[in-house]
Amino acid sequence: MSKRRRLSAAAFLWLPVGVVVSSHVAGGVTAQAADDARTIVEEAQRRTDAKSQRYEGLLQVFDARGRISDKRWTFERLGSHGQSRAVLRFVAPPEVKGVALLVVNHPDRASDQWMWTPAIERDRRIALQDRSTRFFGTDFSFEDLEERDVNQFDYVLAGEEPIDGFVCWKIQSTPRRTKSSQYTRSIVWIRKDTYALARIENYQKDKLVRRLDYSDIQNVQGIWTARRMEMADLTRGSRTRLTLDRLQYNLPLKEEDFTLQAIRRQ
Amino acid sequence: MRTLVLLLLMLAPAAADAQTLSVRGFGEGEVFWFPQEVPADPTRLIGHFLGRGEVFYKPAPVIQFAGGLDLRANSHDQVEAGWRLDYGDRGAERPRLSVRRLSATYTKSRLTVDGGKQFIRWGKTDIVTPTDRFAPRDFLNVINGEFLAVTAVRAVIQLRDDAFDGVWAPRFTPSRTPLLDQRWSGIPPNAVQVPVDGGATMPTGSQFGIRWSHLGAAAEYSLSYFDGFNHLPLIRSSVDIEAPAVVVTRLYPAIRTYGGDLAAPTPWFTIKGEAAFFESSSNDVPPDERSDDYVLFVAQLERQSGEWTFVGGYAGEIVVRSRSSLPFAPDRGLSHAFLGRAAYTLDPNRSVALEGAVRENGRGVYTRGEYSQAHGQHWRTTVAAAVIGGETDDFLGQYRRNSYMSATLRYSY
Repeated sequence: MSKRRRLSAAAFLWLPVGVVVSSHVAGGVTAQAADDARTIVEEAQRRTDAKSQRYEGLLQVFDARGRISDKRWTFERLGSHGQSRAVLRFVAPPEVKGVALLVVNHPDRASDQWMWTPAIERDRRIALQDRSTRFFGTDFSFEDLEERDVNQFDYVLAGEEPIDGFVCWKIQSTPRRTKSSQYTRSIVWIRKDTYALARIENYQKDKLVRRLDYSDIQNVQGIWTARRMEMADLTRGSRTRLTLDRLQYNLPLKEEDFTLQAIRRQ
Repeated sequence: MRTLVLLLLMLAPAAADAQTLSVRGFGEGEVFWFPQEVPADPTRLIGHFLGRGEVFYKPAPVIQFAGGLDLRANSHDQVEAGWRLDYGDRGAERPRLSVRRLSATYTKSRLTVDGGKQFIRWGKTDIVTPTDRFAPRDFLNVINGEFLAVTAVRAVIQLRDDAFDGVWAPRFTPSRTPLLDQRWSGIPPNAVQVPVDGGATMPTGSQFGIRWSHLGAAAEYSLSYFDGFNHLPLIRSSVDIEAPAVVVTRLYPAIRTYGGDLAAPTPWFTIKGEAAFFESSSNDVPPDERSDDYVLFVAQLERQSGEWTFVGGYAGEIVVRSRSSLPFAPDRGLSHAFLGRAAYTLDPNRSVALEGAVRENGRGVYTRGEYSQAHGQHWRTTVAAAVIGGETDDFLGQYRRNSYMSATLRYSY
């Protein structure tokens, strides 16, 4: 397996980046532009390569009327670039404390996901067709929580645009036929100075449905990382802000802590 | 218990860096209002309190301890009057103070071993789970039964896509059955006298079960075998001429089960199926002390779409050999029925749900609607209404006067 060809768009952070461009959009674009786009994405992901990752996240959900619901989770990932395993466990509010999600990413197909619910002492596999649903009342869907392999998408360079004053490459992509996704295409902005993600817009057909903005980008152990992400559900008018705290890369984690047996341990 | 505490204390200073301590729990007050009286139980308003605290302590990467206590009070004598710390969950009434869980978990590479009082769920389907043989329930309220933990040693070896699960339970934990003088006993309205509870005969042997499960890209499935006792009892009645009274006793038949389950996602639904063959394994007792031989199966479809969650299916039963026993069996009582649940998330704090069961012959129906709302980080209120109807000789229909409304206030920490 070529490591470079296994790079995952999600590896920038663990949050997925279904960077996609539809083929009809790409129709008039040259092969050189497509190659450039892929090279940019691969380089961006190479710069996020880490053996493991851990952080504590604060999720703040704002509905259309501005009300806030706060949730906190811990996140651990072992491996990267489409071959990782990740465990996300809620620690607040109290009524969801202990709820955990295991994500097993694959380079050649969609991830496998299981959710552990301590109140009923059961795990449940999240089916592919259910991945478009919201994850625990947030504006992230289950699909947004998985890593994706760069080879599951076709990329097209669509120009340059500034985001928050930083010049970015604007890249569009579409999922290939073998890829199952709720999004028909996505547009991603990658900063030219750091190769860090700045924004992703996800489309269903021609309708923009979700926008993910990255901010507070800092260099953590040599990896440019957004410490704050905000996902807006443009259909519902709600948004969820994720703030990363105590972020660490390349710490020693054990494979046996990323299994179904492990997530049922509280 | 003392050994566990000592172990915990010994290990605590050894690996301070790896220590993690997690605490959670809630206090919950719940009020039930039943519009109709039943002959055996004229009480229509019941209040209940449950306080729960659970602690999870990981003194070292390879070991974890879990402990939990429940504290209960009830306005209708569903909780024991005396104060004692209950461990076995064998009483007819709920204990006032009880150990909800107390276990130690050892993890090394692919092996996980749990020992102590713990929850073990094998079933994949909802409402009826034929392969859940180590999952007794509290059926003081028959349609709202909470699971009980069992005392067991469980070892799981997790290979890449396969898991081998072995359980040995040295001490039997029964399901708690409805109190005879209360409305969920299902005593017929024309009964001359409420029977007297003659207690239960608890099995003394151990139980054993193994399960192999496989996680595939297209489906996950498992096979399981159980050799032990049904946690749902057979009912025996006798007449005490001196009292005079009808005395009802419970006994738990020895059974073997052979089961399997399957979950397969398709582009439209997730298909789930679960089945088990129940076979009496006690040949040296009278027929009325032996279980029927039967197959219990469930097939259901599951789908999430937007803010909706749907589950719908059918539970069936094939009796291979009927004996003259009289079981208390909510799982079989919900067979030959269509089951369903729909839930809708209004926003991050509010949800509604509707669930129901309809017997295929139309002789019993149950439906329950629920609205739940969180208030801030700790409080949640839930209001619900259940409607039960049908004929007296139907499992659901016998509770037709038990339709109710309930309100719950919970503080979680």
